[in-house]
Amino acid sequence: AADTWKYAFEEAMTDVQGVFAQKFKEEIEANSDHQIQLFPFGTLGESADIMEQAQAGILQFVDQSPGFTGALIPEAQVFFVPYLLPAESEKLGDFFRNSKAINEMFPALYAEQGLELLTMFPEGEVVMTTKEKVTTPADLDEVKFRVMTNPLLVESYQAFGATPTPLPWGEVFGALQTNIIQGQENPLFWVESTKMYEVTDYITFTGHNNFTTAVMANKAFFDGLAEEEQQLIRDAIDVSFEHILEYQEGLSERSLEKIKEARPDINVVVLTEEQRQPFKEAAAEVEAKFIEMTGESGKAILEQMKKDLQAATQ
Amino acid sequence: MGSAEENKDKRKDAYASTLPGILGTIDTGISHAESFILAAGVILMAINTMANVVGRFVFQSSIFFSEELNRTLIVLITFAGIGYAARHGRHIRMSAIYDALPAKTRKLLMIVIASVTAALMFALCYFSVGYILSVATSGRILPAMQIPVYWIYLWVPLGFLVTGIQYALTAVKNAVQKDIYLSTHVLEGYEDDEIEV
Amino acid sequence: MALKISAIMIALLLLGFPMMVPLLLGSMYGFYELFGGFERMTFMVQQMLAGIRPASLIAVPMFILAADIMTRGQSAGRLIDMVMAFVGHIKGGLAVSTAAACTLFGAVSGSTQATVVAVGSPLRPRMLKAGYNDSFVLALIINASDIAFLIPPSIGMIIYGVVSSTSISELFIAGIGPGLLLLVLFSAYCMIYATIKGVPTEPKAPWSERLAAVRQAIWPLGFPVIIVGGIYGGVFSPTEAAAACVLYALILEFIVFRSLNAVDIYRIAKSTGLITAVVFVLVGAGAAFSWVISFAQIPQQLLGSIGIDQMGPKAVLAVISVSFFVGCMFVDPIVVILVLVPIFAPVVDAVGLDKVLVGTIITLQVAIGSATPPFGCDIFTAIAIFKRPYAAVIRGIAPFTLILIGVSVALIFFPQIALFLRDLAFR
Ligand code: NA
Ligand code: NA
Repeated sequence: AADTWKYAFEEAMTDVQGVFAQKFKEEIEANSDHQIQLFPFGTLGESADIMEQAQAGILQFVDQSPGFTGALIPEAQVFFVPYLLPAESEKLGDFFRNSKAINEMFPALYAEQGLELLTMFPEGEVVMTTKEKVTTPADLDEVKFRVMTNPLLVESYQAFGATPTPLPWGEVFGALQTNIIQGQENPLFWVESTKMYEVTDYITFTGHNNFTTAVMANKAFFDGLAEEEQQLIRDAIDVSFEHILEYQEGLSERSLEKIKEARPDINVVVLTEEQRQPFKEAAAEVEAKFIEMTGESGKAILEQMKKDLQAATQ
Repeated sequence: MGSAEENKDKRKDAYASTLPGILGTIDTGISHAESFILAAGVILMAINTMANVVGRFVFQSSIFFSEELNRTLIVLITFAGIGYAARHGRHIRMSAIYDALPAKTRKLLMIVIASVTAALMFALCYFSVGYILSVATSGRILPAMQIPVYWIYLWVPLGFLVTGIQYALTAVKNAVQKDIYLSTHVLEGYEDDEIEV
Repeated sequence: MALKISAIMIALLLLGFPMMVPLLLGSMYGFYELFGGFERMTFMVQQMLAGIRPASLIAVPMFILAADIMTRGQSAGRLIDMVMAFVGHIKGGLAVSTAAACTLFGAVSGSTQATVVAVGSPLRPRMLKAGYNDSFVLALIINASDIAFLIPPSIGMIIYGVVSSTSISELFIAGIGPGLLLLVLFSAYCMIYATIKGVPTEPKAPWSERLAAVRQAIWPLGFPVIIVGGIYGGVFSPTEAAAACVLYALILEFIVFRSLNAVDIYRIAKSTGLITAVVFVLVGAGAAFSWVISFAQIPQQLLGSIGIDQMGPKAVLAVISVSFFVGCMFVDPIVVILVLVPIFAPVVDAVGLDKVLVGTIITLQVAIGSATPPFGCDIFTAIAIFKRPYAAVIRGIAPFTLILIGVSVALIFFPQIALFLRDLAFR
């Protein structure tokens, strides 16, 4: 039978999650009689709302970044621990394809919440955009730095030497413009699409994270599908995953080009391995906080992530 | 502020339920609790927001749960307030056509309006209990305060319940009394000297 | 389904049900149809709560509180006395000052509801005393407050910028032209109104009197400093500026003027909470309603049926204007932007429209919609705060709506009204 499936995500149609969703829709509709309706950011509520709707089966598919899922699955916040993902883009795909933590440990945790974890994928390297140049943690001293309301992000930026300032995202642009805050972090494409470069002067690549997101299906819905339908979905996810990695190739460069075109005097700083060292050392405090928050189960995931990182970078 | 007005304020402040016996006592108690929650919620919100500014400038550190606390307070204020508003006939309505109807029709219509609204509020009370239970089972927690999310919603069903009861009583009051009532103790019609609640 | 819901809502509204009932029953019917029963109603509650949670809404109760303290104390009165000393002799002077105050306050606070309260509550009694008709005063306050959407910082523009990938700085600059044009036209209407209705003027105050009035208002003049200086100077976010105003108002009325006591504050806080609640429950009900519309993909269906793909740029702009205008008549502006912008994005790209122009036009429609019956946040706020019936609040709105529609049409045919400053600054 031809069904209509609903798929909500946390970003605009033209952002990375939207590109993934559109590819998924295209694949499903090309290979079956099913239709997919897409619901971008805000059209069915905030991130937590669409997650609840997916858990209840009103939505069949949902894209939520693990960081936000942390309220439900504390271990998912491991993606906020700095320097756990490969900074080199060629290694990143392998990491996500082969990581045991992502492909074996997380699905079980999501299943407990009534969700079938279909895939996790990277959205782009997280950069800092600031008013002043940043090359050492000392440069972040007295910098009010906007972070999402999350204890690990707060901990990270405290460890990096900044004054973490949680602020709803709607107020970030205005707050940077009026100098209430002097910095924020986001993946580069987001810096481009939310125009953060219009109100900050430095873009710094610290290599501390790559923003990760996850696509899930309602578990009861997924389990209730025939074998070939499940395969149809898995295949569409695989195609979209490869598509998004390809799309990511050069996405940073494209975003950076657009930014430079709009703002020729923007300063782009890529920290050297040596300059990154003190930031990496600060990450230890964040790991400790993560283990304190998540206990044994979190510790096991953290250790597996480190092993996966080693495997991917060898 | 003139003394006549002051007296009027005092009179309005001392809300006395028109219900008989123990029910009246409970009703009056709820009314006091509602007005206290309204006032305290607003004042706490102001303190919380200011403290965040002071923290940022003086201590170089924001109160990272400030936003979540404000969200909690706004839910509290809204759902304490809808009951209080029902009690004092302050919910917004468009009464142009209603006002033009003859008194007998108005009375009948007011009974229908109050009954339907009461039923709707009771239904929402039931649904909100369902929602809270589902949030509670999911184990979702607030990221900054690290408390279960459902805690901040506990007032919601209570707010709907109290509002529903107020409208139900209004329907009864209109059915048994001669005059037309907007709420259990507010007669219809906007007064020129504005109602102080 | 859309038709049935609208019919239910309008019928209940006209019969005189509390405004939350049509919105809630309309949504409930939508949920019932969508899910074939009452099983999913819990998500109606979810969306109601989602509607009242946003952090940016916190500024509203804070400004209500500050305004109430100022109005019941002496601060507001002294500020208005000062303004009157300068403009009291001009026909429509007080009305023009009110419009300007709404624009300025709305511009910085970013909240039209807060503006209705903060500027409206002290100025309305004064305008009534000066001989203006209440329906004119209420309409002026509501409509002038909505100019705030167009003047930076504007949350509507920020959200449009993010959803449509448009420069927010350019949007901000582009909004200034139409915003000021509206202020000028509103002011002209005020002066014409005052002349036709023969609103009496006061004798021109001598400079000695004016100076005395300024001296009286020295302390309260700190409010504009806190709000304008604090927000543009990077000390506060709008929400925090509101809380700072509360603190400053308390200091003035408690310590400097000694006009209020603790019991007054308790009572004012309670009344702030009450007004917040009656407005926010409608915001929440509106959110539940818009979820139904969005989930059922009703905008997509409606727009698909009119063949927008075949239209030229001006026709597309006209359709966009009408869609946002109608949307904002029923639903919260932010939600309308989030839902409709992605739907229009492909056709806007296809006909090659300037996205900054589209954003400015959308923001203008949002402003109009919020002040236009039947549903409108600013109308609700005015009803709650001034305790006037619905009909009285909307009676005087028509001339303002006509001006707003006129400016909308002008923008479609003369985009330079918006783009002139943008081109000057960025091109
Ligand atoms: Na503004
Ligand atoms: Na409206």
